[in-house]
Amino acid sequence: MAFWFYRGLRRGIVTTRYPKGELDPWTRHLPTAPAFHPDRLTPELAQRLAVGCPAGAITTDGRELVVDLGRCTACGRCLELAGDAAAPSGESLLAAVERSDLIKRIPVAGR
Amino acid sequence: MNALELLHPVNPTSVASVDSAQLGALSHELATEHGARLADLFGDETADGAVVLRAVYAMDRERRYLILECPLDSDHFPPLSDLDPAAFVEECELYEQFGVRPAGRKRLNRVLVPPHLASTFGTPGRRRHHQVARDYEPHVVSGEAFEFPFGPVRAAGWESLYTGLVTTGEEVLDLYLMQWHKHRGVERRLSGLDLERATFFVERTDGLSTVGHTIAFCRAIETLTETPIPDEAQSTRTVALELERIYNHTASVAAVCQATGLSVGQARVEIVLERLLRLNAAAFGHRYLFGIVLSGGVARGPTAEPIRRELGALLDELREVASGLLGTNSYVDRLEATGIVTPEEAHRLSLVGPVARASGQDVDSRRDHPADSGDEPPPKVATRSDGDVLARMQVMLAEVDEAERLIERRLDSAGPARKPVQPGAGDGFGWAESPRGEALAWVSMTDEGRIRRARLRPASVRNWRAFDDAARAQNVFTDIPIIEASFWLTVAGFAR
Amino acid sequence: MTDPNTELEQVSSELRRQTLSIFGRSLHIRTVDTGSCAACESEIRLLAAPHYDLHRLGFFFTPAPRHADLLMVTGPAVRAADNLLLKAFEATPDPKAVIAVGACALGGVYTEDELVHGAVDRVLPVDVYVPGCPPSPLALLQGLLVAVDRLQSRVAALSLELDGGAPR
Repeated sequence: MAFWFYRGLRRGIVTTRYPKGELDPWTRHLPTAPAFHPDRLTPELAQRLAVGCPAGAITTDGRELVVDLGRCTACGRCLELAGDAAAPSGESLLAAVERSDLIKRIPVAGR
Repeated sequence: MNALELLHPVNPTSVASVDSAQLGALSHELATEHGARLADLFGDETADGAVVLRAVYAMDRERRYLILECPLDSDHFPPLSDLDPAAFVEECELYEQFGVRPAGRKRLNRVLVPPHLASTFGTPGRRRHHQVARDYEPHVVSGEAFEFPFGPVRAAGWESLYTGLVTTGEEVLDLYLMQWHKHRGVERRLSGLDLERATFFVERTDGLSTVGHTIAFCRAIETLTETPIPDEAQSTRTVALELERIYNHTASVAAVCQATGLSVGQARVEIVLERLLRLNAAAFGHRYLFGIVLSGGVARGPTAEPIRRELGALLDELREVASGLLGTNSYVDRLEATGIVTPEEAHRLSLVGPVARASGQDVDSRRDHPADSGDEPPPKVATRSDGDVLARMQVMLAEVDEAERLIERRLDSAGPARKPVQPGAGDGFGWAESPRGEALAWVSMTDEGRIRRARLRPASVRNWRAFDDAARAQNVFTDIPIIEASFWLTVAGFAR
Repeated sequence: MTDPNTELEQVSSELRRQTLSIFGRSLHIRTVDTGSCAACESEIRLLAAPHYDLHRLGFFFTPAPRHADLLMVTGPAVRAADNLLLKAFEATPDPKAVIAVGACALGGVYTEDELVHGAVDRVLPVDVYVPGCPPSPLALLQGLLVAVDRLQSRVAALSLELDGGAPR
């Protein structure tokens, strides 16, 4: 049993300090939902994004792009399709009490 | 008709069309003369509604897969499970999905379709009405034995699984599983999808074997469309698959520690497991390696630097903990002679993966059906013959060592590479050695490049069959979590 | 005359405050799988692992629904799991909260059909939604803390407009 005790002591504390302090640095590698430049979003691109999302997280009426963070799996297909019109939002802690808080709207302001 | 004559001279997969009588004769010949194993059995529908049976035989000696296609002219087919008990689960599935059953009066079990959907459930592709609910294997309990229902909702963070334990108190007399509480109908959903969406679903069939299943599926597409993938992509796939194998085997060791109550060992192994998942995120952008494999190649290559910097040290730590575990007598006592799957049972049930290899079956599709015909030496396959929990743990630890070597060999040549795939009508068959064993996929596509019928056979479909054998006799209640942890299958992979 | 919506909001936030004071500082969690791919389960199991150690925050897993304060539900609410989900919900005494975990449970991935509801909130009232595929253990911790309101949800303030637009 001494093996476990001493090895364990040597290992030290690995527990995250969350919720205190800054978020663990390794989280920057996690995939995240997309964020968009409204003036690079054209109605045509918005339509392609809505069709291309396999989880059904993106819809559009041509004037707005609606992203449902709840349905998003951060698979990245929309990021690939959108090119420089989008970038990862970088936020992976997304818990919400209201389901509607997870529905985000971006104006389709591009031509 | 001789089975060997049916083999294509070059292609790793051969397809032959046979009738029911020939199927019966060939299955006998394949089992007895060629040591072939029945790897999968599934159904399909032709355009005019007739059912076609496809039996996939793995001829490991000849390094070939042989698919026998048998159009059925009645609702019955030759009872392959009489020869190959492994086929029983697939026969039950066939009845549920297509309403065809093996000849003879064998009673079939419910495997996937939940009771409330009994008679109106459609097949992958088309509606078919039949009575599923009537046939089921009765579980007879008598004397002092009683049936103790456990699940489907189980302890913290374990998948839904109903276990019917037949016991007189402590000893497990019999055990049966019901896994239809998680049936999502993935095969059905795949019909009609384009490749992008289909790959998305295949990835999420079993999140802990995602690389293995996606490779099998994409290989089927690549065979169908005759798209050889670039070497760079093959190397990336190998690195990802071996990383998946490493974290799964580590998780299995942690789960065995948890099941035996060795919390300190569990904590130490979980530290390694968490670091491995973070390494996956650093190397491939996802802790569980989703989103890497696509038809025609890979979506991205690995970021090699984190792997080079950390993998070796992490695995050294795992080996240190493992040697501590194997030196802890109270721990090893719980593992030895627990959950034994004898070599005869493993052969009879055509098991795959570490479970089979720990029971003396020398099967590994990486070596027996290699993906690339390069000059790479085949991976070393570890086997044991005891078939108990300890043997499975030892096989997994040996596979982790070999996985580390394979990653090291392929890391430099791995990169993002993808050949465009021209989807068109045709059938294709693919496979991969997932962490749980050989995973198979068969895909048929339409002219417009959509899936007509996709068949997924994760390793879990095969190996859960051995669970009741392993749990019966000589084992007590408290052994069951240990056995489950040592098998390290998923219900999701079975229930799809 | 106050707008009925505002009244409703006031009542529900008062109820929430009361519920939180009853919960106190420690929660017991019961997990229920309604058809996940097993990746969410793996992340949930790691909550008890040394890197996250949810015990230090006062959370504990329990195998008995009677002890539970929280139901952590994964999977797209497969209809075959209706019975087990509702039974677990009813067996859990009030006050309780339901956390839906993962994109499947939140309505992504699986559309509704005869096998699957598609989202947990079509079967149970959900109190906290935790997106992710799978959500990392940190995201799960955040979900748990949101459930006891120790951390204000930052999601309402999140904007997906890259050029400084306010969240909409």
